[in-house]
Amino acid sequence: VLAELIASGIAIGAIYGLVAMGFAFVYKATGLVNFAQGEMTMLVAYIAWTIATSISANPFIVAAGAIAAAVLIGLLIERVIMRPMLGEPIFSSVLVTVALAVILRSSITLIWDAYPHGFDLAGGKSIIRFGGAGLRGAQVAAIVTLLAATVAFYLFFRFSRIGVAMRAVALDDRTALLMGISASRVHAVAWAASSIIAGFAGVLFAMIYDLSPAMFQLGLKAFPATILGGLDSVVGSGFGGVLVGLVENLAGGYGGSGLKDVAGFIMIIIILMVRPFGLFGEREVLRV
Amino acid sequence: MRSGTFKESYAGLIVLTDSGWVWFWSIALLLLMAVMPFAVNAYVLSLQTLVLITMTGALGLNLLTGLTGLISLGHVGFLVLGAYAYAVLVVKHHLPPLAGFAAAGIVPALFSIIVGLPSLRLRGLYLAITTLAFSYIINSVILEARSITDGARGIAVLRPEMLGLDFSSDQAFALLCLFVATVTLLACLNIRRSRVGRAFMAIRDNDIAARAMGINLQRFKLYAFMTSAFITGIAGALMGIYLSFVSVEGFPFLYSIEALAILIVGGLGSSLGVVLGTLLIVLLPEAVRILFGHLGSGLESMLSTGVHEVKSMLYGVVIILFLRFEPRGLVGVWHDAKRLWVHWPLRY
Repeated sequence: VLAELIASGIAIGAIYGLVAMGFAFVYKATGLVNFAQGEMTMLVAYIAWTIATSISANPFIVAAGAIAAAVLIGLLIERVIMRPMLGEPIFSSVLVTVALAVILRSSITLIWDAYPHGFDLAGGKSIIRFGGAGLRGAQVAAIVTLLAATVAFYLFFRFSRIGVAMRAVALDDRTALLMGISASRVHAVAWAASSIIAGFAGVLFAMIYDLSPAMFQLGLKAFPATILGGLDSVVGSGFGGVLVGLVENLAGGYGGSGLKDVAGFIMIIIILMVRPFGLFGEREVLRV
Repeated sequence: MRSGTFKESYAGLIVLTDSGWVWFWSIALLLLMAVMPFAVNAYVLSLQTLVLITMTGALGLNLLTGLTGLISLGHVGFLVLGAYAYAVLVVKHHLPPLAGFAAAGIVPALFSIIVGLPSLRLRGLYLAITTLAFSYIINSVILEARSITDGARGIAVLRPEMLGLDFSSDQAFALLCLFVATVTLLACLNIRRSRVGRAFMAIRDNDIAARAMGINLQRFKLYAFMTSAFITGIAGALMGIYLSFVSVEGFPFLYSIEALAILIVGGLGSSLGVVLGTLLIVLLPEAVRILFGHLGSGLESMLSTGVHEVKSMLYGVVIILFLRFEPRGLVGVWHDAKRLWVHWPLRY
């Protein structure tokens, strides 16, 4: 049982990690916590499901469509809703994302419906065995995606032009502007990228469990992961996700489902009390 | 043309209002609200009651978020605690309703110390996330503590009878809500002009400067949490009685968003703003329903199947529009209108 719990804990943790990376990506570039991350995850998953059921179930077509939709959603949100808020207090911008979350959540229920749907794609439900534990295809895919994303982002921030620009903006946006970096382009890339990662997480989650309007809770579950990893550490968030998934699953296995639901939230409070900047985050130094 | 006003003492600066007309219109409004329950139909009466209860709760959040600048996304947790404290004591243990109301304030206030403690170290976003987590933990605890709260089954609550008065009719209950809302409003207005209120505002504007001026941050942040939770808890008890049923599902997360929307729409930190914001936010879905009713049946049927969704969408849109175009909220609009009225046709 322990092996099963650990294996499925890592799998769900990988999905939390992906969503958490989306949080960290936006936070790093814009200094905002995007409370609509879970809803974006859900929206992309619903679009992917619609493509799979009404156009073609070919996984490549679905993936391409989902990525295109995710980029579009990310850019649209950045351009139409977030960019006019530049220069306003952080408080206002964050509340805008809270409002956006509510809007997205209810429009999904209005456009599609409130019932759960199964989402099967390219053998996502077939079982693969590793020693004592069996995992579904989609669970393995989640772990692989997380690993790939971690490597990709490490390389991206280290070597790519826009990645370095993004780090510069995160460090000091005014100096970055003086160096000729377009902050609004960096923001646009961050929103699009975080939307893509969120989309991957959403599709994989829907394949393992079901597609339902309750999926936005994925965003809430990923909060502890980002905070554990450090809000400004994209790679740390991925790792934090796996840890949170493990703790949650073990708590659920040995302490009952009530404990499973709140394990993540209890972790948030403990982490914030002990190490508010997370395991990999940078300690925030406050100067007057 | 009216000249500027000049104050000659500190007392004159912090007085509630220096205008007799403001007193006159406030009392006239209060009397109107007191007579209204006996003149309108049941539907309008229930809306009036809802506005009064919502106003009480939003005033509670305003003390914390508007006045002290601590963002809480989990205020619905205090609401549900207040409702359960009242229901458990009065329905299950047959205590007098007055004791129930006291507990509905005190229990959330005690819990708020637990939530408030992390807030002493955290600021801004982190605090918002902590309070959000707290409201989910509260729900889970209430569902698990079956021996105290009956878990997911919920508790049916009857209208109270206290101090020799019977509040079982809708009219009497509306008057009770009016009384509580008025007292809360007065309390909030007066906290603002007291030493404590000034400390709250100093913390909001710059906490480091506030500490340098000798304000004990720990103490005053906890005060803010406790008073805010106390008021919200009372509103929760009233809400439970209004719904006549207390359950975790009866207090969805949407309420936290609704309260924030009220503060933003009204104007952060202002009690007048809370009143205006509550009116707009609570009556907005009704206004939209009436509008859609004229437009056609297709939209109306969508509205009746997805009330919850349409409501949340409206709140979201209103929050975004106000933050973007009128961050000062309705209070700002009101001040502009007043200035225009006094100085027209001059601009200043």
